[in-house]
Amino acid sequence: MRTFRTPCANNNGFSTVAAVTALLILVALFLFPRFVESPYTLHIMILFFLSTIMGGSWNILGGYTGQYSVGHAAYFGAGAYTTMILMQYKQVPPWYGIWGGIAIVVVVALFIGSICFRLRGPYFVLASIAVAEIMRLTAMNLKDLTNGAEGILATEIPPFTMGGTVITDFLTKVPFYYIGLVLAILTIIVTWLVQNSKLGYCFQAIREDQDAAHSLGINLTIYKNIALIISAVFTSLAGSFYAVYIGFIDPPTVLALDISVQIVLICIIGGIGTIYGPVVGSLVLVPLSEALRSNLIAQAIFKTGMVSEESGIGVFLKDHLAHAHALIYGILVVIVILFMPDGVLGFIKKLTAKKAVTGDRLTVTE
Amino acid sequence: MTVFLQSLISGILIGGVYALIGIGLTIIFGVMRVINFAHGDIMMIGMYLTYNLFTLAGIDPFVSILVTIPLMFLFGGFLQKLFINRVLGALPQNQILLTIGLGLIMSNTMMLIYTSDYKIISTSYSSSSISVAGISVSEPLAISFIITAAITAMLYWFLIKTDTGQAIRATAQDREAAQLMGINVKRMSIIAFGLGASLAGTAGALISPTYYIFPQIGSTFTLKAFVITVLGGMGSIVGATLGGVVIGIAESVSAVYISSGWKDVVVFVLFLLVLLFKPSGLMGKSRM
Repeated sequence: MRTFRTPCANNNGFSTVAAVTALLILVALFLFPRFVESPYTLHIMILFFLSTIMGGSWNILGGYTGQYSVGHAAYFGAGAYTTMILMQYKQVPPWYGIWGGIAIVVVVALFIGSICFRLRGPYFVLASIAVAEIMRLTAMNLKDLTNGAEGILATEIPPFTMGGTVITDFLTKVPFYYIGLVLAILTIIVTWLVQNSKLGYCFQAIREDQDAAHSLGINLTIYKNIALIISAVFTSLAGSFYAVYIGFIDPPTVLALDISVQIVLICIIGGIGTIYGPVVGSLVLVPLSEALRSNLIAQAIFKTGMVSEESGIGVFLKDHLAHAHALIYGILVVIVILFMPDGVLGFIKKLTAKKAVTGDRLTVTE
Repeated sequence: MTVFLQSLISGILIGGVYALIGIGLTIIFGVMRVINFAHGDIMMIGMYLTYNLFTLAGIDPFVSILVTIPLMFLFGGFLQKLFINRVLGALPQNQILLTIGLGLIMSNTMMLIYTSDYKIISTSYSSSSISVAGISVSEPLAISFIITAAITAMLYWFLIKTDTGQAIRATAQDREAAQLMGINVKRMSIIAFGLGASLAGTAGALISPTYYIFPQIGSTFTLKAFVITVLGGMGSIVGATLGGVVIGIAESVSAVYISSGWKDVVVFVLFLLVLLFKPSGLMGKSRM
C-alpha cells in the first residue's frame, strides 16, 4: 500500500551532511570526463543520465499527479523525430531543433490530454497506449516526412558555435556527457520544485483523491494538463538528446510501446513519487541491461564455472543472452511489484524504519 | 461490390479469432477486475506450442488445439496462483505493471529459446482458398472460424448451464456476495484465468497457419484484445464476441479501401472514439 504523504511532512530543509554529499557527487560528476577517457564508460554514464531524465519526467505526471501514462513514447518520439527531421532535412542545428520539438510536443500533449484526461484508471492507461500507437503507426506510414520504417540516419551534427568561436564539434562523447548531466540535474531540480510548491501540492492532492481535490476547488483539467506538459517537455528533451547522440532513429526505437514501458519501469523500480526514485531506478536498470547487452552476464556465468564456455548451454547463452536484455526488465518489475511495491527506495526506507523501531524498543526494555 | 463483400467476409472470419482473444481477456477482467497486459504474449506461447507440435511431432495446427487447450489452461492457472493472486487487492496500476512484466518475461524467454526469427507453419492448405459464389475465402481462416464458433458455443453452454460456469458468473457479478454464498472464489479465479489463457492460446494455434510466428507478436494482439473488450464493454462476453467481429471487419475493410499500413490506425481511432463517447461499450453494464 502506498504511504500517505501530507505536504507538511516533506522535509524542506537540507541537512548539512546531505548537502555536502550532494555537492561532492556533483563535483565528482563534473570532473569525471577529465579523469575517465574510456568512451564506453562515458557511454554508460550518458545512458544513465538519459534514463534519469526519462524517468524523472514521467515521475511528475505518474508519480506526483497519479496519472499512469503508458504512452510516454509519444513525447519521446515526437521530440526525437522533430529534432532529427529539422537537423537532417532542413539543416537546423539541434540546439534550435529541440525548441521545435518542445513546441510540437506541447501541442501533442494538449491534444492527448484532451482525450485521455476524461478517463480514469485503466481506461486512462489504455487511451495513453492507443495514442502512442497511433503516433508510431503514423511515423511508419508518413514516409515522405519520417522515412517510414527505414528511419533517419544523421549524417553529421553541425558544430556548436557561439559568436564565431566553436564551443564544441560533438566529435567525442564528452559534450554529450555534459549535456546529459545538465539535463538530468535540471530534471531533478524541477521535480524538487514541483514537490515543494503549491502546484506540486495540487498534483499530489489529485493523486491521492481526485474527487476530494476537485471538491476543494482544484481544477482537475488545468492541473493535470500542467503536469502533462512539464512531463512531456522533459521527455521530448530526452528524445531529442537520444536522437542526436545515437544519430539514428526509427519507429521501433523511439515510438514503440517498449519505450513507454521502460520509462515507467525506471520509476517503479526506483520508487514512484520520490525525487531520487528515477536516479535509483536508472542506477539499477542501466548497468544491468548493459551487462546483458555486452554479454558480461554470460562471461560471469562462465567464470563461476557453473557452465563451461564450450558446452552446448554455454554457446547458447553466449549467442542469445545479449538479445534478451529486456528479460531483466520483466523479472525486475515482477519482483518489485510483488515484494517491494514502493520501489527500491521505499524498500530501503521500510527496512531502516523497522530497524529504528526495534532499536527504540530495546532501549525501552533496558 | 464483390471486393466489398470479399473484405467483409474475410473480416468476419478473422473477427471470429479476435473474438476468442477478446473473450479470454474479458473473462479475466470480469472475474478478477485485472486487466491482463500479458494476454497477447500468452497467445504467442500458444503459437509456439503449435509450432513445436507441428515441426517436432507433425501434428496439424487445427488438431493441435486438443493439446493446446488443456496445456494453456494449466499455464493460466499457474500464472494466477503464483502471481496474479497476490495483487488482487493492490492498486490497478500495479496489477497492470505486473502483467506487463510477465508479458516481457514470456516474450524474452521465447526470444532466448527461438531467437527473433520469423517462423512459419506451412501446411498443404496454408495458401489455398475456397470459392463460393464468386467470393474466394482463405481456407485456413474458414476452418479456424468454424472451430472458433464451436468453441464459443461450448463456452456459452459451460458458463450458462454448468454449476462451475454459474459460480464463475456469480463471482464476476459480486465477489463478496459469491463468497458468502459458499462459492470458492479463489478456485473460480484460477479457473477463470485458465480459461482466459486457454482461449488466447487456442486463438494463437488457430491463426498460426496464416501469421508469422515471432516472440514480439504479443503486444499487437494485446492491444487488439483491449480494443475488442472495451468496444464490447469490459466484462461482457457477448460484447467481446461482437467487438471481435466489428474490429475484424473494420481492419479488413480499411485495408482494402485506405491502405494496409493505416488499418491499425483506423482501429485505434475507433477505440478512442468508443472510450470518449461510449466508455461502457456496446454491451455495457450487462456483465457476462
